Amino acid sequence: MVREIHTTEYELGLHQTLLQEFWHNFKKNKLSLVGGFIVLCYAIMAIFAPLLAPYNPVEQFDAPPGMRNPMPPLSRDVDGRLFLLGTDKFGRDILSRALYGTRTLLQLAGGSIAIAMLLGVAMGAVAGYKKGTWVDELIMRTVDIMLSFPTLVLAIALVGAFGIGSLRIGPLVLSNMVKIMLVIAITYSPRFARVMRAVVLQEMAEDYVAAAKVTGASGFRILTREVLVNTIPTIIVQGSLMMATTVLTSASLSFLGLGLQPPRPSLGLMLNEARDYLFWGACCT
Amino acid sequence: MRAYLAKRFLFGVLTLLVTSLLIFSLLRVVPGGPVDALIGEEWDDPELRAQLRRDLGLDLPFHRQYARWLGGLFRGDLGVSLVLYRGEPVGGIILERFGVTAQLAFISLTIALLVAFPAGIAAALWKERLPDHVFRIVALGGISTPNFFLGIALIVMFGVGLRLKWGVGGYVPFGEDPWGWFLRLLLPAIVLGTDHAATISRMLRASILEALGRNHVLTAKAMGLPRKEFLIQDVLRTAMVPVVTVIGNSAGALLDGAVITEILFRLPGLGSLLVQGVYARDLPLVQSVVIVAVGIRIAVNLIVDLSYALMDPRIRYGRGQ
Repeated sequence: MVREIHTTEYELGLHQTLLQEFWHNFKKNKLSLVGGFIVLCYAIMAIFAPLLAPYNPVEQFDAPPGMRNPMPPLSRDVDGRLFLLGTDKFGRDILSRALYGTRTLLQLAGGSIAIAMLLGVAMGAVAGYKKGTWVDELIMRTVDIMLSFPTLVLAIALVGAFGIGSLRIGPLVLSNMVKIMLVIAITYSPRFARVMRAVVLQEMAEDYVAAAKVTGASGFRILTREVLVNTIPTIIVQGSLMMATTVLTSASLSFLGLGLQPPRPSLGLMLNEARDYLFWGACCT
Repeated sequence: MRAYLAKRFLFGVLTLLVTSLLIFSLLRVVPGGPVDALIGEEWDDPELRAQLRRDLGLDLPFHRQYARWLGGLFRGDLGVSLVLYRGEPVGGIILERFGVTAQLAFISLTIALLVAFPAGIAAALWKERLPDHVFRIVALGGISTPNFFLGIALIVMFGVGLRLKWGVGGYVPFGEDPWGWFLRLLLPAIVLGTDHAATISRMLRASILEALGRNHVLTAKAMGLPRKEFLIQDVLRTAMVPVVTVIGNSAGALLDGAVITEILFRLPGLGSLLVQGVYARDLPLVQSVVIVAVGIRIAVNLIVDLSYALMDPRIRYGRGQ
């Protein structure tokens, strides 16, 4: 903590751009370097999954004579192909599935956070701007009610409402992935709404908003052009904090079989399939 | 105080009402539902379908269906399960399942507190020394390990590795085999309690450190009170307020973790009931479990808020403010 205070007070003039200054501070903190490195590794794994993965994650390979799927790490199939982490019970390469699974998980979490931010920011901004009116009351009481749900229970209930698999509303068909993003986004949007309302209230008291009002700007313009821009840092911080929880929630949903459906590779689902095998193994021994 | 209680209670009931409406309408957004689940989507027999809808009361207009369910809710009748436990009253099923979850939650919270208190206090008293460093690393690990991973790891260790019968989960009622009951709930309770233990002890450490710097503590120290006395009297008591908030949050969130833990260790609790209900599209079951879950959460929050007043004499509800 002490180190951080030193570096933020560090002569601002020395570094030309914000980015350079950020990098300078970032380099000084060992913990953030380690964390950044881990995040970078995962990002590379996710982005380059198609290039890094040795095989197609849904292709099934045959075990050589005398062996059967699932195969242990470092085994070869009939045609002599090497599987670094082995195969699952359907003969699919675990390494490729894990790489693609990371990719889907991060896509899912990122998408959910983006939608949750949009929903939450809109709700919070309107509530904050219309402070004290019935609009504010309506939005914030809804938020309170949603927050009184246990998170995963709400997500599961929503999956229960929309059904497992893709969702059809009239002519509109949402893929399963988009549907899960929506479910998680709805679950987490109230938290953004709370923070957003607080920040908007704070910013509305600032002089520049009063100035904008004096020049006759409309409410919508003030909110979008003046206030919103200044709330971005807070929301970004909140979003990155939430990212970790949404990753967990989406993995939990997949684990319960309520998220992504097979054969799509997903880390949670892989763990669950492995668990079946685990019990089977335990029964046999 | 009484006025405050009444207000909180009223708001709680209101929240439950709105939740019930929300859940009820949500579960009816998507067509199909229980009829499809009962006779299968492919089975194309309009007459049978219509008959079934009439029997289940699904042909009534929306508001009458809701009123019917709500009326039952107030009488303590949660309706009958349609798919999963055909025809059995939901109330009984939930009560039975809730017992298991409550036992799991109780053991888990007890373990979490038993670990968190000594750990948090030790870390605060030996700040920046070895116990503190070890504590911080372990606590961070506890927070960032997902429930399902820890659960699987424990099953691999105890169930598969050591081949212990209780290591792979399952449930035995307390009356039948108390020791087996405890052993079987132990691993899931550890899984469920780990991140709560970490969160609670971290909060405890932080708030003890803060309390140690407060004026009244310094005064007590200067007056020459024995260390043990002022640590308990002044420091712990001041430090407890934020800690209780965190404990309350944990208690409210236990059901979240219980979903995963119960599935993993094959415990017949409320969490696994919810997931099974969603799979089977058993609407009365799902909506009732959700309502019960929200109700528990609201009750826990209320208890936590009231307990502040017990710990901090400056907090009084319903006067002034």
